[in-house]
Amino acid sequence: MFFHMVLERNMQLHPRHFGPHLRDKLVAKLMKDVEGTCSGRHGFVVAITGVDSIGKGLIRDGTGFVTFPVKYQCVVFRPFKGEILEAVVTMVNKMGFFAEAGPVQIFVSNHLIPDDMEFQSGDMPNYITSDGSVKIQKDSEVRLKIIGTRVDATEIFCIGTIKDDFLGVINEPGAAA
Amino acid sequence: MPRRRDDEDDEQEEENYEDEDYEDEEDDVGVGSSKKRRRSEFIDDVAEEDDEEEEEEYEEDDEEMGGGGRRGHSKHRKSGSQFFDLEAAVDSDEEEEEEEGEDDFINDAGAEIPDDGGGRMRRPPLLPREDEQEDVEDLERRIQERYAKSNIPEYDEETTEVEQQALLPSVKDPKLWMVKCLMGREREAVVCLMQKCIDKGSELQIRSAVALDHLKNYIYIEADKEAHVKEACKGLRNIFSTKVILVPIKEMTHVLSVESKTVDLAVDTWVRMKIGNYKGDLAKVVNVDNVKQRVTVKLIPRIDLQAIANKMDGRDVVKKKAFVPPPRFINTDEAREMHIRVDRRRDPSTGEYFDLIDNMWFKDGFHYKAVSIKSISTQNVQPSFDELEKFQKPGDDTDGDIASLSTLFANRKKGHFMKGDAVIIIRGDLKNLKGWVDKVEEENVHIRPKMEGLPKTVAVNEKELCKCFDLGKNVKVVAGAQEGATGMVVKVEGHVLTILSDTTKEHIRVFADNVVESSEVTTGVTKIGDYELHDLVLLDNSSFGIIIRLESEAFQVLKGVTERPEVALVKLREIKHKIDRRANAQDRHNNTVSLKDVVKILEGPFKGKQGPVEHIYRGVLFIYDRHHLEHAGYICAKAQSCVLVGGSRGGSDRNGTDGSRFGTSRPPMLNSPKRLPRGGPPPLDSGGRFRGRRGHDSLVGSTIKIRLGPFKGYRGRVKDVNGQSVRVELESQMKVVTVNRNMISDTVSIATPFRETPRYGVGSETPMHPSRTPMHPYMTPMREGGATPIHDGMRTPRRDRAWNPYAPMSPARDNWEEGNPATWGASPQYHPGTPPARPYEAPTPGSGWTNTPGNYSEAGTPRESSPAYAIAPSPYLPSTPGGQPMTPSSSYLPGTPGGQPMTPGNVGLDIMSPTIGEGEGNWFVPDILVNVRRSGEEPCIGVVKEMLLDGSCKVALGSTGNGETVTALPTEMEMVVPKKSDKIKIMSGAQRGATGKLIGIDGTDGIVKVDDTLDVKILDMVILAKLAP
Repeated sequence: MFFHMVLERNMQLHPRHFGPHLRDKLVAKLMKDVEGTCSGRHGFVVAITGVDSIGKGLIRDGTGFVTFPVKYQCVVFRPFKGEILEAVVTMVNKMGFFAEAGPVQIFVSNHLIPDDMEFQSGDMPNYITSDGSVKIQKDSEVRLKIIGTRVDATEIFCIGTIKDDFLGVINEPGAAA
Repeated sequence: MPRRRDDEDDEQEEENYEDEDYEDEEDDVGVGSSKKRRRSEFIDDVAEEDDEEEEEEYEEDDEEMGGGGRRGHSKHRKSGSQFFDLEAAVDSDEEEEEEEGEDDFINDAGAEIPDDGGGRMRRPPLLPREDEQEDVEDLERRIQERYAKSNIPEYDEETTEVEQQALLPSVKDPKLWMVKCLMGREREAVVCLMQKCIDKGSELQIRSAVALDHLKNYIYIEADKEAHVKEACKGLRNIFSTKVILVPIKEMTHVLSVESKTVDLAVDTWVRMKIGNYKGDLAKVVNVDNVKQRVTVKLIPRIDLQAIANKMDGRDVVKKKAFVPPPRFINTDEAREMHIRVDRRRDPSTGEYFDLIDNMWFKDGFHYKAVSIKSISTQNVQPSFDELEKFQKPGDDTDGDIASLSTLFANRKKGHFMKGDAVIIIRGDLKNLKGWVDKVEEENVHIRPKMEGLPKTVAVNEKELCKCFDLGKNVKVVAGAQEGATGMVVKVEGHVLTILSDTTKEHIRVFADNVVESSEVTTGVTKIGDYELHDLVLLDNSSFGIIIRLESEAFQVLKGVTERPEVALVKLREIKHKIDRRANAQDRHNNTVSLKDVVKILEGPFKGKQGPVEHIYRGVLFIYDRHHLEHAGYICAKAQSCVLVGGSRGGSDRNGTDGSRFGTSRPPMLNSPKRLPRGGPPPLDSGGRFRGRRGHDSLVGSTIKIRLGPFKGYRGRVKDVNGQSVRVELESQMKVVTVNRNMISDTVSIATPFRETPRYGVGSETPMHPSRTPMHPYMTPMREGGATPIHDGMRTPRRDRAWNPYAPMSPARDNWEEGNPATWGASPQYHPGTPPARPYEAPTPGSGWTNTPGNYSEAGTPRESSPAYAIAPSPYLPSTPGGQPMTPSSSYLPGTPGGQPMTPGNVGLDIMSPTIGEGEGNWFVPDILVNVRRSGEEPCIGVVKEMLLDGSCKVALGSTGNGETVTALPTEMEMVVPKKSDKIKIMSGAQRGATGKLIGIDGTDGIVKVDDTLDVKILDMVILAKLAP
């Protein structure tokens, strides 16, 4: 789920950036530092949408670095248990498949794939129904439900299921284009 | 002791009696000798009876031995017990004082004597049979008498440990001796001793004799002295009394302690077979006959139908089967097809129908087998998941579940359930009720049910509970083979969970009981002994591999075989050691691949895979590709079939390894810089080529710095220019890389300084000078490539430090000047006149290198060492390969300015060799103002005009340099400290040679505005010199 929220961060800025563009530099650095990171609490920071305030800088003894408390608005993405997501399959193996929804990696175990889908190995490993009508392979788009998340400091890993109504392949690879 | 007597009377109860008796006996230890006499009289009767009875038994026994079956055995028991039990009881009474557990022995012996009766000698019955009954009464009477006056304290039900301790044998007690006897005649020997005791009475001074079932070839005799033992054994054929071993007091109790075998066999428990074809197999108890001491177990058959068929057909039956048939469910149809007769029979007791094949009972494919309790082990049976799975035939899962649960529950540790655990009730009225543990008492667990309308807490027996987990929960395995692994639950089937392991991304099936909820992420055990997951290890058979998985007591190792992935299961002891060396390898394009470099596999089974190199060994790379799911993501590939992607991440670290590597392998080459160690072109030839090339592109041979790309920051000499690509030989690494021309910084110098410094070749006059000169080859185009033999020598990583070999080289430059490289041999002639140089020059380069190979490895990278030797002279020592160390310090006096600065080339030199540039201290540079203080003269100001190779300078006296020009030694000069707003020249560091303006002074730092770049820099005042106006 995406959230738009205000976060705060203390930014350390090298003295060389002091000058008329200090603010710009600070924002640029903030984006560089924060976007794409993952915090266990909030999830992935997808984008910074604005900077609310930049506090007073505090010069650090010894280094000359200056610490600014920065409040910024950002869009975060955090997967939740029970959430329905659409994801792109990145890898298929006999134990299930991995899919990615933006920065989140989701594993769908073969136990959580409908029983009528069989694994087929080969050049392009896939899960296919016996009648061949539905096929999950790399780059397929699937809709899945997250049933478990593991949140580390730097990564969020989920397991999902497609063994439920309205879940499963929503787009064949190539067709998406 | 009325109670005791009752016991004795009641022969059936002899077992509990024994237990109680045990205590009493011990109480009596040491008391007994006075009673002994009486007792032995008493024994007489019993013994006689015994013998008589035995005799009868023998006959029976002999007959039965052939049949040898279980039936025979139990029959003995019956026939023997009537008397023997009594006898045992009596016996123990009389012997009890001396020997704990004695009764046990006798009892056994009594019951089992028939077993080894075959070898017995016949003894005439001592008492007529009819006396038996009377005798028993007599016996009873006597015992009563005896105990009536015995001072044995009242038997106390509650024996404390302290009391127990007091009963242990001490030094005062008789000793226990171990005596050898004929194999298989242990009991007989003891009985003989008993007989002897009976016959001889008090003459025999031993206290007791014991034969233990599990100890062959020996019996124990209790006696005060060894001599008594020998005496007692004298004349007995089956006892070898030559060797009598004393049992240490501490071990005495162990000898006679009896393992309490509380066989607690219930139906549906899991057991393991101890013997036979099924040895080690898991079996499930289906019926227990406590009386016969037999159980019926259900096994997965290991039946060779073919063999049965053969047997039935009367064909040759292989006597000794070479193999044990694999466990497999039996199919009666299959058997019928093989013309094996399959009978269908009803078990009279249970009413169930069985298939009878060759006298073996089968049902549902399982083999039902009646075995003795002794032949199964019931303790610590932990059925593995696979075994249980096998046992679970499709269709009867619930049954199997419960069954396996019962065993599992039995093995549960205390404190299995914790408050807050989610549990499900699996048995009873409340089956399938889910809840959370609220409180745990001994057996009962109070749970808070999930369902509405139930009491707040429900107390449930622990055995009726099972942990339950929801899909997607993060759990940790706390027991079993997968112990320690964490993962997410992907499937729940009854009490079996399927978990997706966090690290291996594989499915693990575990019992819910062995799992706890946990947020932690681990691989499970990551370390066994010294070896950790993902370590590179050398295996026994000199192969090597990377540990990709740890199992209980074993490692899975991905072997360093590149043709195909090969995984071996390796025990701890099979690993020789960890390979912890940091090695490098060459990729397909001969780029150096070091650890953490990202490589791409170009060929082989893993073509196209890419990832960082985690280990390198013998030219084999172990690459970690996180998209590769097998083998924990590790791929093994030949370095030669990979190509380096992007830059190296080894960083300076790699230089270190480089150094040590070459340090060990290269020195021989360095022996003589004058040779062409690497088979390069001969000097003349290359010289010519070089000249030619130089004409093509002025860049060639120059020293440049790479400013972009993977090699950013590296310096090197241009080897070749081809269109936009430039091949650069890196200074810090033994390799030539190709970079885009626009990725290199401007040529630092195409130095042709030597022409301007006629005295240059004499530089070796001053010891310090040579130390710097090694750098020169890199900036002089003349020395480029393999063109000069010297250069080849110098190409080693050592080159910075290799000023020793360089010393003889420097004059050679003069030769170069003259365009006559052939005069190498003449180089030494430049030195003789320069005494200070001698220490340096004395050892030949070759000897210098070879003498001290140790230096190479111990000294760090060239980079590391150079600053060191510039800052403090002493660290320099280790880097001087030869015998030079005598004077390094003198040569490093900061006051001795080097000679080079005048030449533009030197500036370049410093820039390209930051190490020296930064570290070497202040060298005078041209155009700075100095104070010249010559002995006997007034100090006068002057302008440095030119640097000489020896560090001395040509100084034009006068503040503007218009006076006479003198040559001043470094020690005689002192630079003029600039003041604010003075023009200055930077004498050291990366900016060396640059001019600027001192715009402020802050303590020891000067704030300088550099002319060229207009950068403002803060530099140490020490390296700033006032520029001549």
